[in-house]
Amino acid sequence: MPNWTLCVDTSAGTTVSVLQGGEVKSEVHFEENMKHAERIGDAIAQAIAGANISPSRITSVVVGRGPAPFTGLRIGIAAAVMFAEGVGAKLFGVSSLDAIARAALEQRGQSQTPLLVTADARRSENYWALYSGLTKAGSPILIAGPGVAKPAEIDAMFSDQAIDRTKLKISAAYIGKVFEAQLIDGTSSHNVEAMYLREADAVAPKVLRDFGKKVSG
Amino acid sequence: MAKGSSNYLIREATEADLPAIMNLENSCFANDAWDSETMHFEVVAHHTFYLGAFDGEQLIGFAGLSKIPGNEQADIQTIAVSESARGQGVGKALMEVLLKEARRLKAEELFLEVRADNPAAQKLYLNLGFEHIDTRKRYYQPDDVDAWVMRLQFARTSIGREPIVLGIETSCDETGIGIVRGNTLLANIISSSMDEHARFGGVVPEIAARAHLEALRPTLNQALAKANLSLKDIDAIAVTNGPGLGGALMVGVGAAKALSVALEKPIYAVNHLVGHVGVDILERGKLETPTVALLVSGGHTSLLLVRDLLEDVELLGETIDDAAGEAFDKVARVLGLKYPGGPEIDKAAATGDPKAIRFPRGLSLPKDMEKHRYDFSFSGLKTAVARWVEKADAAGEELNLADVAASFREAVVDVLVTKAVNACLDHKVPRLLLGGGVVANARLRELAAERCAAHGIELRIPALSLCTDNGAMIAALGAQLIMSGRAPSSLHFSADSTLPVTQVQSH
Repeated sequence: MPNWTLCVDTSAGTTVSVLQGGEVKSEVHFEENMKHAERIGDAIAQAIAGANISPSRITSVVVGRGPAPFTGLRIGIAAAVMFAEGVGAKLFGVSSLDAIARAALEQRGQSQTPLLVTADARRSENYWALYSGLTKAGSPILIAGPGVAKPAEIDAMFSDQAIDRTKLKISAAYIGKVFEAQLIDGTSSHNVEAMYLREADAVAPKVLRDFGKKVSG
Repeated sequence: MAKGSSNYLIREATEADLPAIMNLENSCFANDAWDSETMHFEVVAHHTFYLGAFDGEQLIGFAGLSKIPGNEQADIQTIAVSESARGQGVGKALMEVLLKEARRLKAEELFLEVRADNPAAQKLYLNLGFEHIDTRKRYYQPDDVDAWVMRLQFARTSIGREPIVLGIETSCDETGIGIVRGNTLLANIISSSMDEHARFGGVVPEIAARAHLEALRPTLNQALAKANLSLKDIDAIAVTNGPGLGGALMVGVGAAKALSVALEKPIYAVNHLVGHVGVDILERGKLETPTVALLVSGGHTSLLLVRDLLEDVELLGETIDDAAGEAFDKVARVLGLKYPGGPEIDKAAATGDPKAIRFPRGLSLPKDMEKHRYDFSFSGLKTAVARWVEKADAAGEELNLADVAASFREAVVDVLVTKAVNACLDHKVPRLLLGGGVVANARLRELAAERCAAHGIELRIPALSLCTDNGAMIAALGAQLIMSGRAPSSLHFSADSTLPVTQVQSH
């Protein structure tokens, strides 16, 4: 019997999917991008119920590592880490942009033109990554990025070459499809570190011994 | 008799209250009020329990429960609050007393009907743990309005032994995972990101949240190893859902929910501050009530009156600006000392004279005491220290660091202890419990012991590892909820950075 895989992504909304082998058995999507903490429990429970299995059947957990805004991304990773601990499953990480690329490239069919994937990074910026196509197994082949920049800057970066773009949104089912392909290619990874691509918003005080005005503020 | 948070009293209703009840009934339910005969039967019947809420002599609300002996199901018969008294929590207070009574009578399920066009009431019931299970079409006549049937399931109380509960705490900069069995501590592992905040002179929320994510798995595994248990042994998960730093709380909430689904075990969302109070159970086997609790940390400075850990926690006062621990950090910075400021100032103050400089005691003047008797303010004190240092600097004088540190520390500790002891005396509560990281401060413990002894107040200071933020206190509070038969939380509760202390469990 092929293995059961739980896929979780909170890089945009909250999306969870259960796959058996490469086959998608259930998908749950909550669109709101500020409600991850509220939705994650129900999303996982519903995806497992939708696949008609008990949680203990899950042998692999795959999570989207972003890049994504901080707070939401962490909730999905924290949930994936703990779910895997809870059922004793193996834990894997996949780039969320890879999942979007896989969906778009599958939809597009044969072409030599590179595909630019972008996703909302808030603060008027986008995350971006450029792909040349899919491996035979179906893993997206990354040729540039991932990065974060203003949309105009991203446009300027690729102004001198022909590229395709996609407006597809992330779906956890495609996190699973990328993972299955990576297993075949031997490129699957246990790294589940969050890809923030931005430093924590904190500036160390210039002088620690800083009298007067600054401290009374 | 129970006292609500506002100026009203709740007591059992009697036949003598009937005229007032009928007046309120008729004004609240113009089209479908019960007649006085029905109401009379309801109030005096043996299988019912009716409450009135009174503002002085005036009846401002009433509510009734029906529980037939031998039947596991109970019903909320009615609830009404006079229009002028709404929005003060009277309805919630009435419901809470009825819920307590239903539990005492060993009801397993509690039902009620509410108008489909009354979202305020529905929200109250949802928050109390009721769920919408059915809709009765056009139930309310002549208004032709549907009724929501709502149900609250009390947990099957006993699993035949004390529950083993895993607690997850991520409200600030400590990732805490604790495990308890009933009232017994099995493990309490804390992973702190304090060092990473040092160069910023205070906790940076984003850095704290990132650190929680990385610390979760190792902290969990250490806790399990310490308790000599595997996750399969865990009966329930408890997690802090507030108050605290939003992004940090959410890491714990996401982790706890996933663990609950994976293990197919119930989850309890609990209040961080109430956790600090309940932790005393792990050392003494129970919490002596009533007690005043003074919780002092880098994030909180709160004075609570606890009459019952799960039912009746009242916020007497809190800081209106900086938390006490924050004041230590900021003043340490002014004095050129390292972060965290508490231990550094303690060290510097060791040889100093606490009376050398009379720094201001925040919100302690008579005019402040009228409005802010139990509130704290440390912002003015911090500025006063900064000015003192500036002045010495400008005059080219050598700063007596020990005296400044000792005098500042004395000002903080004096206000904390004075207000806490006042709260005990005012409310005739012979107990004071300390909690929070600032309890590590030797002078705070010393002065609290002195003043409590002088007034015959029993002082409780849990071990420091249970005073700082930790998962064991969260697990302990979860275990208390389970053992008192509370239903688990849903999977969709949220992280609430400003969760009020009156909300012990979130649904």
